[in-house]
Amino acid sequence: MNPEETALGANRRTFLRNGLGTLGMFALNSLLRGGQDNAQDKWKGVVNPLHFPQKAKRVIFLYQAGGPSHLETFDYKPKLAALHGQGMPESFTTGQQIAQLQGKQLICFGPQYGFKKFGKSGQEICELFPHIGGVADDVCIIRSMWTEQINHDPAHTIMNTGMILPGRPSMGSWILYGLGAETENLPGFVVLVSSGKGGQMQPIAARQWSAGFLPSKFQGVKFNAVGDPVLYIDTPKGLGHDLQKASIDAINALNREQYAALKDPEILTRVSQYEMAFRMQASVPDLVDMSKEPASVLEMYGAKPGDGSFASNCLLARRLAERGVRFIQLYHRDWDHHSGIKENIPIKAQETDRATAALITDLKQRGMLDDTIVIWGGEFGRTPMSQGDGRDHHIKGFSFMVAGGGFKGGMTYGATDELGYAAVENPISVHDFHATMMYLLGIDHKRLTVKYQGQDARLTFTSGEVVQPILV
Amino acid sequence: MKQRAIAVAYAGLAAALLQGAQPVDFNRDIRPIMSDTCFRCHGPDKSSRMMGMRLDLREEATKPTHSGVTPIVPGDPDKSAIIQRIFEKNPARAMPPQMAHKTLTEAQKETIRRWVAEGAKYEGHWAYEPVKRPAVPEVSNDSIVNPIDNFIQERLAKEGLQPSAEADRRTLIRRVTFDLTGLPPTAAEVEAFQKDASADAYEKLVDRLLSSQAYAEEQARHWLDAVRYADTAGFHGDNRYPVWPYRDYVLRAFLNNKPFDEFTREQLAGDLMPNATVDQKVASAYNRLNRVSAEGGLQPKEYLAKYGADRVRTLSAVWLGSTLGCAECHDHKFDPFKSKDFYSMKAFFADVKETGLVSDRGADAWGSKLSLPSVEQKQRLSELDAQIEASKKALDAKVTATSAADRAAWEKGILARHEAGELAWSYQRPTSAKSLNGTRLTIYNDEPADSNFYLSTSNGSTLMSEHKPGQGLVIASGADPDKETYIVTFRPGEGAWTALGIEVVQDESLPGNRLARGADRFLLTEVDATVGKGAKLAFSLATASDSFGQMPENAPMTVIDGDSSTGWGISFGEARNPFIALRLAQPLKTNSGTVVTVRLHHDSEYRRATIGRFRLALSKAQYSWPENGESGVKFKARKGDDGVLTTAAERGLPAKVDEALKLPEDKRSDEQKKLIARHYAWSNPEFADLNIQLAKLETARGILQSQIPQVLVTEATEPRVTRILPRANWMDDTNEIVQPAVPGFLGKLDTGRRIANRLDLGNWLVDPANPLTPRAFVNRQWRQFFGIGLSKTIEDLGSQGEWPTHLELLDWLAAEFVLPTWRADGTHAWDVKHLLRTIVMSHTYRQTSIGNPQLDERDPDDRLLARQRPFRVDAEVVHDTALSISGLLVDRFGGPSVRPYEPEGYLAAMNFPKREYSASHGEDLYRRGLYTEWQRTFLHPSLLNFDAPTREECAVSRVASNTPLQALDLLNDPIFVEAARVFAQRILQQGGRDINRQIGWAFEQAVDRQPTQREEQILAELHRESLAKFRSATADARAFTSEGESPVAKDVKPADLAAMTTVARAILNMHETITRN
Repeated sequence: MNPEETALGANRRTFLRNGLGTLGMFALNSLLRGGQDNAQDKWKGVVNPLHFPQKAKRVIFLYQAGGPSHLETFDYKPKLAALHGQGMPESFTTGQQIAQLQGKQLICFGPQYGFKKFGKSGQEICELFPHIGGVADDVCIIRSMWTEQINHDPAHTIMNTGMILPGRPSMGSWILYGLGAETENLPGFVVLVSSGKGGQMQPIAARQWSAGFLPSKFQGVKFNAVGDPVLYIDTPKGLGHDLQKASIDAINALNREQYAALKDPEILTRVSQYEMAFRMQASVPDLVDMSKEPASVLEMYGAKPGDGSFASNCLLARRLAERGVRFIQLYHRDWDHHSGIKENIPIKAQETDRATAALITDLKQRGMLDDTIVIWGGEFGRTPMSQGDGRDHHIKGFSFMVAGGGFKGGMTYGATDELGYAAVENPISVHDFHATMMYLLGIDHKRLTVKYQGQDARLTFTSGEVVQPILV
Repeated sequence: MKQRAIAVAYAGLAAALLQGAQPVDFNRDIRPIMSDTCFRCHGPDKSSRMMGMRLDLREEATKPTHSGVTPIVPGDPDKSAIIQRIFEKNPARAMPPQMAHKTLTEAQKETIRRWVAEGAKYEGHWAYEPVKRPAVPEVSNDSIVNPIDNFIQERLAKEGLQPSAEADRRTLIRRVTFDLTGLPPTAAEVEAFQKDASADAYEKLVDRLLSSQAYAEEQARHWLDAVRYADTAGFHGDNRYPVWPYRDYVLRAFLNNKPFDEFTREQLAGDLMPNATVDQKVASAYNRLNRVSAEGGLQPKEYLAKYGADRVRTLSAVWLGSTLGCAECHDHKFDPFKSKDFYSMKAFFADVKETGLVSDRGADAWGSKLSLPSVEQKQRLSELDAQIEASKKALDAKVTATSAADRAAWEKGILARHEAGELAWSYQRPTSAKSLNGTRLTIYNDEPADSNFYLSTSNGSTLMSEHKPGQGLVIASGADPDKETYIVTFRPGEGAWTALGIEVVQDESLPGNRLARGADRFLLTEVDATVGKGAKLAFSLATASDSFGQMPENAPMTVIDGDSSTGWGISFGEARNPFIALRLAQPLKTNSGTVVTVRLHHDSEYRRATIGRFRLALSKAQYSWPENGESGVKFKARKGDDGVLTTAAERGLPAKVDEALKLPEDKRSDEQKKLIARHYAWSNPEFADLNIQLAKLETARGILQSQIPQVLVTEATEPRVTRILPRANWMDDTNEIVQPAVPGFLGKLDTGRRIANRLDLGNWLVDPANPLTPRAFVNRQWRQFFGIGLSKTIEDLGSQGEWPTHLELLDWLAAEFVLPTWRADGTHAWDVKHLLRTIVMSHTYRQTSIGNPQLDERDPDDRLLARQRPFRVDAEVVHDTALSISGLLVDRFGGPSVRPYEPEGYLAAMNFPKREYSASHGEDLYRRGLYTEWQRTFLHPSLLNFDAPTREECAVSRVASNTPLQALDLLNDPIFVEAARVFAQRILQQGGRDINRQIGWAFEQAVDRQPTQREEQILAELHRESLAKFRSATADARAFTSEGESPVAKDVKPADLAAMTTVARAILNMHETITRN
C-alpha cells in the first residue's frame, strides 16, 4: 500500500470517481485539519517522510528540444574528424535504427567545431560554449545517454514521462505529486518555452508536461510569452482588482453557506482553490516583472525583459526557483539540424551558452546551486554520419550536462565509442537518469508509484538505476 | 499497523466488512492480495517467474517445485512454504521481498493462513466466468423500485445499515438531468416536475430525458472518450483530419438506441458487412481513430506496429475491461493473457489499409476516406461535372479546329517573344502602401531588404538568407489584425497592359507556411484596382501558378468573383512563391502620370490569413503565364557558387512549355503536346470566353467539393503479416507469425478454415457467452450515475482490478443488458436505454446524498450505496451549464466541430505548419462542449483544466480534480465572462424590478432554488459595491460587458449591466452550480 492510500483509507467521506481514487486525497486536506479551510491547505506530497536524504529541493531542466548534436557540444571525437568524408564503418551501423538516412549511404561527418579544455578540471567542451566552459568545474558532463525513440514526438514523450504511450504523468508532475511545492502562490511545476533561429522548429506537445493519469493539479503550467503569462490569470477587463476580490469573497461566502448546509468537504476545497487563484493573480505579475533586476544581472544573462528569449526564461527560472516552485522546465526549440549544422550550431550556442552559465553562476552566488539541479539536454543526439551538411536523429549515444543539487562538478562521465555512435562506457538510459534525479530529490523511483491499469505505474516504468558515481 | 488495516478495508471493502463472518473466498479475499504481492514473480509470466514457483493456478501451487518445496499444502498451513515465508521474521527471507516494496498486513497474512487451512480453494477470476443471472434477493422495504434496490438493500441489511430516503424533487431533477443529458434542468422544467403530483412523475421525466437529443450528446461524449475520438492526428504536426461524421454516427446511435451489439459490429467491421450502408462505413472510422504520424524520417514499420498496438489497447479497455496492452512486451503478469494473444488480436487489424507514414496534406491526405454529399450536393456535383466535361470538349474541339499552320506560327511567335523578354512581367514600384486596419506596409524598391527562405536541394531544404534590393517588395509588419486590406499605388508609366500580377513572397520569419502572417495559409478574398479616381477595372480571368495540393475551394477565380467569403489561398507546403495573374477584361492604357491603385482584401474567416510579403506586376503580353517562384528557381550550386534565383516575374512562359516548344515536334512526348495545346488555348484571346467559363465551373466545383463532408473510413486490403514481437521490438522479424484469434483462455472463433476477420471479432465481442463485454460496459455506465464503478477500476476487471462491491448486481445488470427480462416490454437485446433507465429508476439512484454521521463513519466512500454522492460535473458540462443558464447555448445536433475562443498564442509550440487559432463565429461559439474541436497535443485549455482527457489514448474514466486553474478559468475565461454578461441581461430583463427579486430569479435559473437570506445578502452586497464602482467608471463598465461576440443589450445602462454581471458571474462560479448532487 502506498502512504497516500493509507492516509486516504483513514479518511472521511471522499470523492473518488475511479480507479485512481487514491488521488482524491489532495482534496481533503482541509478536512483533515479539522474542517477549516486555512492557509496551510497546500499539497505536501506523498513521499512523506522522504525515502532518502534530500540533496536537491528543485529542478531546472533546460530542455533543448529538437535533438542537439553531442558532437558539436560536449562529446569530442577526433577520430571522427579523421574519417570525415569516408564511409561509416558498417560495424557501427548494421542492424541499427536510423531515421531520415534510411536507404542512404552513410558517410562520416567530422565535428564542425573544435573543442577546448576548460577549468581546473580540464573538461572538453566545444569552443562555441565558452561561458559554460567558464563554469566547467561546477558541471558534470554525461557523454553516455541513450534513448529508445528516434522521432521527435515519441522521444519527447519518453524523455518526459518514461514511456512512449500518452497518458502518463511527466517527470515534473511525478515530482510535484511526490514532494509538493514550497509555494502556494504559484504553480509547483512551471513550463517556459522559447525559440530562436538556426534550425528546424519541431513542434512540442502539451503531453510533455501533462499530469497524465494524475489529477490536473499536478500538470505543468505553461507560462506564455504573449498574452496572459498564465492562461486566464488576468482579471476581466474593466473589472479591476477590488471587484475581483469582492467577487471571489462573495463566491467563497456563498460556498461556505453551502458547506454549512451539506457538509461536503469538496466545497471547502473549492473555497481554498479560489483563494489560491487570487493569490496567483497577485503574485504572477510580480514574478514576471523583471524591472527590479539590476542591470548587471540582465547583462550577465543577456536577457532583455519581455523578449521571451531563452535568456529571459533562464532569469525567470531563477525567480521561480527562489519563490519555491519545485520543477521548472525551459524548452528551447529548433535544434533539429538535418542540414546546415555548421552555420546553425553557432546560433544555438549563442542563444543558450551565456544564459545557461549565468543561471549556474547566479544560483551559486545566491547559495542555491547546492540544492537546485540544473539539467541541459534534449530528447536525443545526432548522427556522426552526414545528412548533406547536417546530421540526422540519433539515439544510441548523446550528451547531457548537469549541475548542482548533488551532482559532482568538474567531471565527465561515460563515453561513446570513438566515432561518437553508441554509448559504450557507463551507458545511462532515460530511466537511469530519472532515477538519479529523483534520488537527489529524496525519492526512491521504485516506490513513488500509482496503481494504473493494474500496474504500480512509475516514472521509470520497469527499469532505472541510480548513477552513483556522478553524485557528490 | 492500524492504518494498513484500514487501507485494506478500503481496497477490499467486501472482505473487510465481512471478515470472520463466513469462509474465506478466493476471488474476493485472496486473489487481490496475491495478485498485488505474489503474481509479479510467481504468476502467469514465465519470463519473470522466480524459483519455478507459480501461485495463480492451484495445480501448480500445490505440487513441489524443482527445489522440493511445496508452496501450498491444502488444509495444512504449517507445511505450506508460502505461509512459512510470509510469516518469516528474518527480513532477508520474508516474502514479499524488500525489493518489491510490498508488504502484507497481519490481517492479510491471517486471511491467507485461514484460506490454506480451509483447503486453499481456488476459483476462476470472477470477470472471466460466464455471466449468469443471479436470483434477485428477497428484501421487503417500501422503497424498493427494482432489483437494483434488492441487491443493494440486502447488503445494507447485512451491514445493519438503512438506505437513505429519496432526495427532494429539485435535487432529483437536477441529478437525473445532469446525468442523462449533461445539462442542468431549466427553471420551468423544475417547476413542472415539482408540481406534477402523479405517481409516475419521475418516470415521465426520465422518459422525456432519454428521448432527448441532449441525452444522445451526453452519452456519446463518454463513448468518444473511450474510443479516443479527436479531430487531429495526435503526433508531431497534429493536423486536423476529417472524422466528425463518425461522431455524428455515434450521436445517432445513442439517439435511436441502436442495440449495442450492432453498434459494436458496425464500428469494428462496418466495411466488411454485406451490402454495407453508408452509415456502417462511417462507423468503421472507429478503426482509424488512433494517432497517426506524418513526421518525416519515421520508419513506417515502427509506426504500423504502434498503430496496431494502439487498437488492441483501446479495444481491450473499451469492450473487455482488460489490460491486454501489457502483453505487448511479455505474457501478462497478473492475468492469463499471453503475448501471443496480444499479437493475435492485433492481427485482426492487419487488413486495415494504411501506411506507417501518413500524409497530412493534399488530396490523398490520411488515406481511405469517404465523401458524404447530400442529395442536393450530389445533384449539383453531377451537373457541374457534365458542364465541365462539355466545356472541355468545346475547348478541345476549338484547338483541334485550328490549322497546323496557325499553330506553328503561334509556337514560333511565342518562343521568340519569350526570348525577347516580351512575356516577362514587369514589377511595379509602389509609390504608397497603406492598410485599413493598422498593418505597417514598407516598400522596398531600390532599398535592400532581408529575405530568409528555404530552397530545395538534393538534401531537402536549406535555409538561405539574402540582402538585396527589394524590386518593389512590400513587407507587412507591426499590427497584425485578423482581417486587413492593403492599398498599394504605383505609376506604371506609359503603356497598354493586359494583366495584373501578384507575387506572394515567402519568408522564414512568417508563420503561415512562411507566406501568411498568421493562419497556416494566406487567403486573398478579393482584389480590385482603379485608375486615378475612376471606376474599378474589370478582370476576366484569374490564373495562378501550378501548385500541388492546393485546396480546391481556394481557386484563383475566387479573388475576382465579388464574394468576400471565398478566396485564393495557398497553405503549408503547397508552393513557395505563388503568383497569380488577373487578366484585364479590356487592356489598360496608361500615360506617364497615371496612378493605379490596387486593393488586396483579406476578409476570410481565418484569422490573420494575410499576405506577409508581396510584389505587384503588370504585363503587356498576350498572355504572360504566372510562373511561381519555386519552379522558376535557377539554382546553380551550393556553397561558393552564386546561386541565382530567378523571380517569378522574369518568366512569362511555363518552364515545361518552354522546354517542350524547344524540341522538334516529333521528339515531344504526348504529355508535352498536351501542355503546349493547353497553353495555346490559355494564351489565345479567341479562346478567352471558353477559358473563363471553364475556370468558373471548376471553381464552383472546387467550392462545392469543399463543402461535402468527408470521413476517414476503414478499407480492407490484403492483410499484412503479423508476428509476435519480443519485447515489442518491431525490428525483430524472427518470431512466430500469428493469425487473427481471440485470447486463448476466453475461447476460440469457429470460422472453419477461413481466417477470422474483424467481423468475427465484432461478433465475438457481443456474443452472449463473452463474459467481459457486458460487465465492462455496465460497470462503466454505473460510474456515470454514482461517481464510481461497482468495481472502481473501470479500466481493469482483471486480477489487479478491484473486486466489485456488488458482484451479483453487476452480473444481474450485465445479464439484463444483454437480454432484458425485467419489464422487458418494448426493449431489445443489448438495450442501452433500458440499462440506464433501470439504473436511474432505482431507489438506490434516487437517494439523497446529504451528510450522515453514521455513514461517514461506516462507509465514508459510499461504496455500499446507502446514499448518493455529489460530484463536480465534467469539463464539457461545466461549459454547457454556464451557457445554458445564461441562455447562450445553441441547441444544434451534430455537424462539423467548432472552435470556441482560445487564448492568444496557445498553439505557438506547434509546427508543420505554424498556425494561429481561428475561433468560430456566430452560433458555433456557443455549441455544446462535445462539439469543440479536439486538438490532441494542445487540447482546449478549459477542457484540460477540468480534466478532460486529450484522447491521445483511450480513456474510460476521468479524474475530477479541484484546482486554482479551474477557479481562474471560471472567473476569467472570456466565454464565462460573456456568459455572465448575457445571464445578467436576462436577469435585468426578466428577473423582476428590485435587486432581491432579481437575485432570487437568478438563483432559480442557475441552481433551481431560492437563495437563503444570507446568500441573498452576499450577492446584494456585491451588487451594491459593483454598482457604485461602475457608476463612476462607465468606460470600465462598457469594457467589462463587451466580452464576446454576442450582442450587448442596448436598453440597459452600462453600469447596471456591469454590476449585474458581477452577480451573475458569482452565481456561475458557485460550487453548487457545477455540482451534480
